[in-house]
Amino acid sequence: MTFGNPWMLLGALGALIPLLVHLFDRRRPRPHAFGPLAFVLRSQKRTASRLKLKRLLLYALRTLILLAIPIALARPELTRDAAAAQAVKGPAATAIILDASLSMRWSDGTSNFERARDEARDALKDLLPEEPATLLVCTQAPAAPPPPGFDRGRLRSLVDEARATYGAADLSRCLDMAARALEESPMPAKRLVLVSDMTAAAFRLEAPPPTVKGPTGAPVKPEVVLRDAAEGHEVLGNRAIVDLKVEPALQAGPRTFQFTFTVRNFGAEPVKDLEAVVRVGESTLAKGFVDIPPGGTTQKTLTVRFPQGGTVLGQVALAPDALVEDDRRSFVLPVPRALKALVVNGSPHATRYRDEAFFVDAALTAPGSPVEVSTRDAEVGLREDFSAYDLVLLLNVPAPGADEAEKLAAFVEKGGGLFISMGDRVNPDAYNQRLGAVLPRPLRLVRTSAERDDPDADTRSARLAQVSVEHVLFAPFTGRAEEGLVGARFYKYMLLEADNPGASGASQVLATYEDGAPAVAVARRGKGRVALLTSTVDRDWSDFAIRTSFLPLMQRFAAYLTGSLDEREEVRVRVGEGATLRPEGAQKVSAVRAPDGAEVSVKEQPDGSLVAGPVLEPGVYSVLGADGKVQPDLSFAAVLDPSESDLGRVPQDTLTAYFGEETVKASTGDADKPSVPLWTWLILAACLAFFFEGTLLRK
Amino acid sequence: MLLDAQTLARLQGVKLRARAVMEGVLSGLHKSPHQGQSVEFAEHKEYAPGDELRHLDWKAYGKFDKYYVKRFEHETNLRAVMVVDASASMGYRSGALSKLDVATTLAGALCYLLVRQQDAAGLALMAGGKWKDVPPRASAGHLNVLLDTLEHTAPNGGTDLGSAADHLAEVLPRRSSVVVLSDLLDENQDALRRILALRQRKNDVSVFHLVDPAELTFPFDDPTLFLDMEGEGRIEVNPREIKESYLEEFGAFLASVKAACAEADVDYELVRTDDKLDDVLLRYLARRGRRR
Repeated sequence: MTFGNPWMLLGALGALIPLLVHLFDRRRPRPHAFGPLAFVLRSQKRTASRLKLKRLLLYALRTLILLAIPIALARPELTRDAAAAQAVKGPAATAIILDASLSMRWSDGTSNFERARDEARDALKDLLPEEPATLLVCTQAPAAPPPPGFDRGRLRSLVDEARATYGAADLSRCLDMAARALEESPMPAKRLVLVSDMTAAAFRLEAPPPTVKGPTGAPVKPEVVLRDAAEGHEVLGNRAIVDLKVEPALQAGPRTFQFTFTVRNFGAEPVKDLEAVVRVGESTLAKGFVDIPPGGTTQKTLTVRFPQGGTVLGQVALAPDALVEDDRRSFVLPVPRALKALVVNGSPHATRYRDEAFFVDAALTAPGSPVEVSTRDAEVGLREDFSAYDLVLLLNVPAPGADEAEKLAAFVEKGGGLFISMGDRVNPDAYNQRLGAVLPRPLRLVRTSAERDDPDADTRSARLAQVSVEHVLFAPFTGRAEEGLVGARFYKYMLLEADNPGASGASQVLATYEDGAPAVAVARRGKGRVALLTSTVDRDWSDFAIRTSFLPLMQRFAAYLTGSLDEREEVRVRVGEGATLRPEGAQKVSAVRAPDGAEVSVKEQPDGSLVAGPVLEPGVYSVLGADGKVQPDLSFAAVLDPSESDLGRVPQDTLTAYFGEETVKASTGDADKPSVPLWTWLILAACLAFFFEGTLLRK
Repeated sequence: MLLDAQTLARLQGVKLRARAVMEGVLSGLHKSPHQGQSVEFAEHKEYAPGDELRHLDWKAYGKFDKYYVKRFEHETNLRAVMVVDASASMGYRSGALSKLDVATTLAGALCYLLVRQQDAAGLALMAGGKWKDVPPRASAGHLNVLLDTLEHTAPNGGTDLGSAADHLAEVLPRRSSVVVLSDLLDENQDALRRILALRQRKNDVSVFHLVDPAELTFPFDDPTLFLDMEGEGRIEVNPREIKESYLEEFGAFLASVKAACAEADVDYELVRTDDKLDDVLLRYLARRGRRR
């Protein structure tokens, strides 16, 4: 037997009151001379035995009342076992932790979360009137619960309003937060009620179990009640898309992409012929079937060719199962549009490979390239109507005339892309004079690092030293791909002046030679972009044209200069995280909308970027511009944390061992209602005694 | 005029109260069969020395050669004795009048009525174990003696109805009217039977059983030390605990007294001390009128 308020037992001394009253009551009865005393005497004799019994009963009942009330207030409980002594018994301050993670959306007709809410309501119902309670809805970013209180209505409202989220939940952290909230209650006994599907991913069993400060200040384990919302399901079968890669499939034509998604079967049964599709809107673009062994993973690749360029918002999906949220994954894919490029060949040659434009033409018209190339000599090319093109490439072109230079400047100003490569025909002064406002930097003079015929040319020629791989132009050239860049030899190159003082914007040097001279400089001019390669694009000044990096770099030049190459890093965001947006130039962001249409908060960062979110649900997030229209190129897709798709459950024994066998109480369904404490029976006995005492007194 | 106990209590002395009651009774009787005095022949009686010679019936002597004396109606007037129990228990009162007050008032009123119609009225008072007799007479001056005696009666001693019965048997001639006014609280179980036995001696016996309302209802709540009014007995009880039993006992006592009176052909009148006494007397006289 243990007592919640043992000092209340002192009140049991009150049970002596009837005895003391009986022994020491000195009240003198009122004397009254009465004629028919014989009848009084006879009546008294007649009723004496009955009265004696009645008095005895009254004495016993009053003693029982005065004994039962203080003992009940002392809150007695039958001792369960010796090990439970460390936990304080009696009515307990209670914190209910309601798991609202993605796995709780698992449904067999009724979702785990619906069952969990019912369990939470039952837990509230089972509380004793004097037990304060609080509620923590355990999400990816749980809020600290308030101290336990007695407003049951508010807690019920919180349970009713709670919704399962799309994020992972750290139940260990939530239990700890709830334990801290319990410590704010003066009640000595504490109880944690965990309502969850008990998936392993939600627990950190390597962390110590939650404790609260005991009456002495030392940490003690609170009572833990486990309410399993997935009771009856040994395994929660699930399959999910755990990864998705979308890559251009250039060999299959322009605007063709490979969707490679990894599908995992978390169940114990094999899955056969599982349908997998790529959808854009309502139309299915590709479909396939996968087989997955139990607990295994399979990759499936579907190839999709998009009919036109632009940003595509779509979804890959599996045939739905009990947890549909992880059976689909959204994507935002920038599909390059068809580009028209005018190549102005400043040094044509009858032999194709000696032609200045040969390698550029080959690179831009390679299979899968969206670029449509028109090659002209300098005289014709510079008279072309530039507005019919997205990109103009001046390859070793003598300085254009003033009118042509003006046309070029206007072309760039309106958003066109201009690529300039050097060569013997380039006159630096004329360029500076006529195209000075357009060039990223003024040209100075040609430096020769080695003669091509020199036997030591390999060692004396210049190589690229500093390449800004963080820039979108050079982003793919990391790792082994970098070899193609740094291996190129440059025999001659044009030195550049410092930044162009007459230009409207600053230039950016993305690659330099070993001597620090710029190799690639870019600049924005109006709405357009200009790139300057300080060497040739044929083999006259370098062997870069025959390097593996040449083709992709030229294609990226084309995409970059026309704005079709997304300069932004691909926005990869998981549910629960914030998405960083980098609007370009004049782009403004007025709002970000979640897939359900709700507005997402946006915060501006010191570096000019914006952080939207944290995003709370998977799907495509629309970014609205200043005009309120959706800007597809800024849109992004949020994906789920794959760890939440693993619905493997922690065995009850493991949880019991983790929390401590003496403290865990599994409670599921109606069969495990908490037993009625002893003191309620005492109160009932006192009430009955009170009633019978009154009845006896009236007789 | 019906007088309630409160009103009577404001009248000091038995004389006033008895007269008030009597007048109330008279105003209620109207044509009373007891009104006036008869002088008509009633019966012959054989002459005995001492009889009035003027009442000798000479005609009868001529016929039967024996002396007979005529007896007239006025000579057969009632001889009534009021037996008043003045034991200590009669002094109990919970209201305005004690049982003894009511008994003396009733006795006085009856004496008024008797003397007014020239019947002889006497008293037998028992107080403190002693008897005080006032022989029956019909003179108007005798009434004052009766009333004075009643006036100066105080409750004292125990109740001994048995000895009262014996005493009356000695002093009363046959065919007397005996009116017993008592609470009949005699420890001797045989006492009532002996009183009623007077009826067997051709006496007309009436019993006014005086009861205080508190004795009938036992309206006590707090623990009480009940003291015997006629002895040393005392008992401490919680009245609420024994009330039911007491009322049963006392009810049975009243029922037994009433049944015994009925069996002995004795008029029985239960009188509460808060009753209207002229009403009590009218009821009593009306019942006696019906019996004639």
